[in-house]
Amino acid sequence: MSALDELRQLRHGGGQVRKRDNKAAFWFLAPWFAGLVFITIGPVLASFGLGFTKYNLIQPPKFIGFDNFARIFSDERLHNALGVTFTYVFVSVPLQLACALVVALLLDRGMRGLAFYRSAFYLPSLLGSSVAIAVLWTQVFGTDGLVNRVLGAFGIEGKGWISDPDTALSTLIVLNVWTFGSPMVIFLAGLRQIPAVYYEAAAIDGASRWSQFWRITLPLLSPIVFFNLVLQIIHAFQSFTQAFVVSGGTGGPSDSTMFYTLYLYQQGFSRFDMGYASALAWFLLLIIAAFTAINFWAAKYWVFYDD
Amino acid sequence: MTTELSRTVGRRLSVPAKHIGLVLIGFVMLYPVLWMVVSSLRPGDEIFRSPGLILESLHAENYTEGWYALSPSFGTYLLNSAVLVLGCIVGNLVSCSMAAYAFARLHFSGKRWWFGIMLGTIMLPVHVIIVPQYVLFSQIGWVNTFLPLIVPKILATDAFFVFLMVQFIRGLPRELDEAARIDGCGHPRIFAQIILPLMKPALATTTIFTFIWTWNDFFTQLIYLTDPDMYTVPVALRSFVDSTVATSWGSQFAMSVVSIIPIFLAFLIGQRYLVKGIATTGGK
Amino acid sequence: MPRGVRRRGAAWAVLLSLTASLLAACGSGSDAGGDLTAEPVTLRFTWWGADDRHKRTQQVIEMFQKKHPNITIKGEFKEWNGYWDSLATTMAANDAPDIMQMDELYIASYAERGALLDLNESKKHLDTSNFDQKALATGAIDGKQYGLPVGLGMYSIMVNTDLLAKYGIPLPDDTKWSWDDLKKIGEQASKAGGGQVFGVQSPGINDTAGLSIRARQQGKAMFDAGGKVVLPPEIATQYWTYIQDLAKSGIAAPPSVTVEKASAGLNQSATATNTAVFGLWWNTQLTALTAASGAKLKLLRLPGETQGKAPGAYYKPSMFWSVSSRSKHPAEAAAFVSFLANDEEAAKVLLTERGVPANQKIRDAIASQLKETDKAAKEYLDTVPVSDPPRITPNGASTVDAILKRHTEDVLFGRTSPEQAATSFIKELQSEVDAAK
Repeated sequence: MSALDELRQLRHGGGQVRKRDNKAAFWFLAPWFAGLVFITIGPVLASFGLGFTKYNLIQPPKFIGFDNFARIFSDERLHNALGVTFTYVFVSVPLQLACALVVALLLDRGMRGLAFYRSAFYLPSLLGSSVAIAVLWTQVFGTDGLVNRVLGAFGIEGKGWISDPDTALSTLIVLNVWTFGSPMVIFLAGLRQIPAVYYEAAAIDGASRWSQFWRITLPLLSPIVFFNLVLQIIHAFQSFTQAFVVSGGTGGPSDSTMFYTLYLYQQGFSRFDMGYASALAWFLLLIIAAFTAINFWAAKYWVFYDD
Repeated sequence: MTTELSRTVGRRLSVPAKHIGLVLIGFVMLYPVLWMVVSSLRPGDEIFRSPGLILESLHAENYTEGWYALSPSFGTYLLNSAVLVLGCIVGNLVSCSMAAYAFARLHFSGKRWWFGIMLGTIMLPVHVIIVPQYVLFSQIGWVNTFLPLIVPKILATDAFFVFLMVQFIRGLPRELDEAARIDGCGHPRIFAQIILPLMKPALATTTIFTFIWTWNDFFTQLIYLTDPDMYTVPVALRSFVDSTVATSWGSQFAMSVVSIIPIFLAFLIGQRYLVKGIATTGGK
Repeated sequence: MPRGVRRRGAAWAVLLSLTASLLAACGSGSDAGGDLTAEPVTLRFTWWGADDRHKRTQQVIEMFQKKHPNITIKGEFKEWNGYWDSLATTMAANDAPDIMQMDELYIASYAERGALLDLNESKKHLDTSNFDQKALATGAIDGKQYGLPVGLGMYSIMVNTDLLAKYGIPLPDDTKWSWDDLKKIGEQASKAGGGQVFGVQSPGINDTAGLSIRARQQGKAMFDAGGKVVLPPEIATQYWTYIQDLAKSGIAAPPSVTVEKASAGLNQSATATNTAVFGLWWNTQLTALTAASGAKLKLLRLPGETQGKAPGAYYKPSMFWSVSSRSKHPAEAAAFVSFLANDEEAAKVLLTERGVPANQKIRDAIASQLKETDKAAKEYLDTVPVSDPPRITPNGASTVDAILKRHTEDVLFGRTSPEQAATSFIKELQSEVDAAK
């Protein structure tokens, strides 16, 4: 390992005394600041304010104090939705990232037709949120779908997997894993950035390929793994479109695919209770922020930055 | 030059076996897509009565019928989506890379807080933001224009990409910009001449994702675009499907296929640039 | 920390201005009874539907613009879900379209929140003389006409006569059959179908009318005049027991198949895919279902209509034309609605795409142009006995279909008993109505 260590040491040699670049930062961040002030903050604060009101979208909001937030704790359908969402997040995110990483490694380089395979594997992600997905997913997991025909060939009688409350959520998890294209692309881009010089150094040291993966690829890819993990968790907590399209907006059968945001959406747009929906949104923000904070805290122990 | 895991795997398995494996996985993954393409060539009443992928009769009329099923015809929606996508890509590339440079390389007061706020902005579900935001944009008269969809991108509100680029920039060797700084370069030059060329994979990723997400985004486009002449592809595609009446699924699938072609091509072209990272350009 | 304070101050200013605009979103200046202007006027008109409806409606808009060159109508088409999202959002911003297609489930909820114009105010421009009073009443709340019914529909049984013939089962006599008769004949059909085809497409999903009719046949109702839920639990229990029996005895498909087909929309339903012999549908869906299934379908009267106290059947408006209470040009909007409802040329384009026209004169005027299936639907409407329509779905109960569906699924998958489902359904529905007050 000595050549590799030497290289690392070399790159981190020299103390860093830095002065602040407030002025430059301001200019680089100017568009973002403008967006924050003019586009983001107003609606965000408005939604926060509405959380304390009864607001049916047409008549003026009525202040009701903490009622909406209190209701969060007694709303049984919401608790079910939380359960559904947590299951979804903790099962589908690791599965999806693992698939994305393995396929990215396979499709990184070294064989013909890579461009084609990459594009083909990305194709499902292009469809993942389209309105056609409801029908397409029935073609896979429906009564007359692919899965049942394969099972039928083995003499096993299937069922409507999407329309059975015991399995509906699983089909959505598969749907999410199926659309692993986005994290795959990010992994691919990340792999491209690992300087070849590391592998050369490791080869000089005679490191096995397996140990190269653990000692070079994974640490150097860790910022990207971290990025994918953080974003996919946030994304999964907010997952909406797929459940909405596949269940026809109901979260059914029997609320088994009632994701948190789908429930929130129904409160706001079907029941015209935008006050409660806003309170729910801020509660979700707290949950997501907590998980993101844990992620950032844990990152100190496994994410390797070159700075 | 390369001795990576992927190569290892490639050597251990024989190459044909790898291809067969990938094709098999590919088939299972692409089954729904293939079914959609086949269905787009079936007469409407056969779609749900004949399962599987075997095409009994060719019914290419779905494509012409679908193209002219709505007024204006589908070309308008493709054009609108293209304009919108272009605006969003330019906006995201410029503004997000600037913000990312600041977060990744500059030291400034309250950086951690600002970064936290930026991440926080993607944690609120869109459904409670959309109403106040609509009120805001409708008061400045932007409803039924592309402005409410493009201007936020120009102003870097898509924190996903800022964060993505921050992660990439942090992965770049610092000696490069430090050397440039010693040579007397200011931040704008370091950003434009050193960082940007090196983060091509991240920029390509941003471009591809912005393209695809904008091309597919339904909710905000539905809310802000009211006049059919301004409708985009996803809004138009949904106008075929109404659960309360019969749906012309043949036309719908045909136009879905048509609408996937541009993003598929965009990906096919865009993914090349993912390959041209630091490792192959010899930037280090 | 002056900087922080200033920043926070700016944010609150934005918040206040947003709140102010939310508050300002009520109040209207209306001259619904005034004369039509000669100035150029632009009206926005929105509806939900699929491509066929969009085409026909756009054609009618052009016809109107030819007659009124100073009025421009901007047609905005959407599909069902997107339509309501978009309408709710634009309402909040005081930016709603002038004329809109309205549904029975939502009309009270929009009217009672003050979003709809009382069409009586613009009687001068809106001719309703060819509408049956019973039909008009379906769009009125407390004497205010918030919607003009477009088409009428009736709940019915649709039977696949091709399948009946194939199985050698005679057509039931629908003038006096009961729910038990439907079960019996369904059982015969299921046996003949051999697991591929089932007797009855299970009710219980998108079937609020079915439950309401059950109650009406026994002299009860879902809601009383004040909007209170008065559905007796026994009737709801009976309803879900029936559904449970159908599934358990194999008369209907297994639960997961039933839910899949019933949730997926018209084209994928059991009736459209020829996998059920009998199904509950609106009579106006005959044409679409016949096209989708490719089989011969026939409309039958509902079971139980003659055993109970009164016929449960009623005229349900397929949808309404409504005008926004904040429209700046209510008179012109009413004139356009009048054109949609009364113009014969327009009717010949629209035909029965939105249901059999509620306007009786129009119904007769287009009779010669109708397809066989449309004629059958019209004849059903003209001949089958009905009672007075039920009260409009009250404000807050717009989600009744979703609540019903969830309870049916709970029963079908054995997660609850029909008795529990009945009490829970009534309780939840009542709390929805209360919450909207």
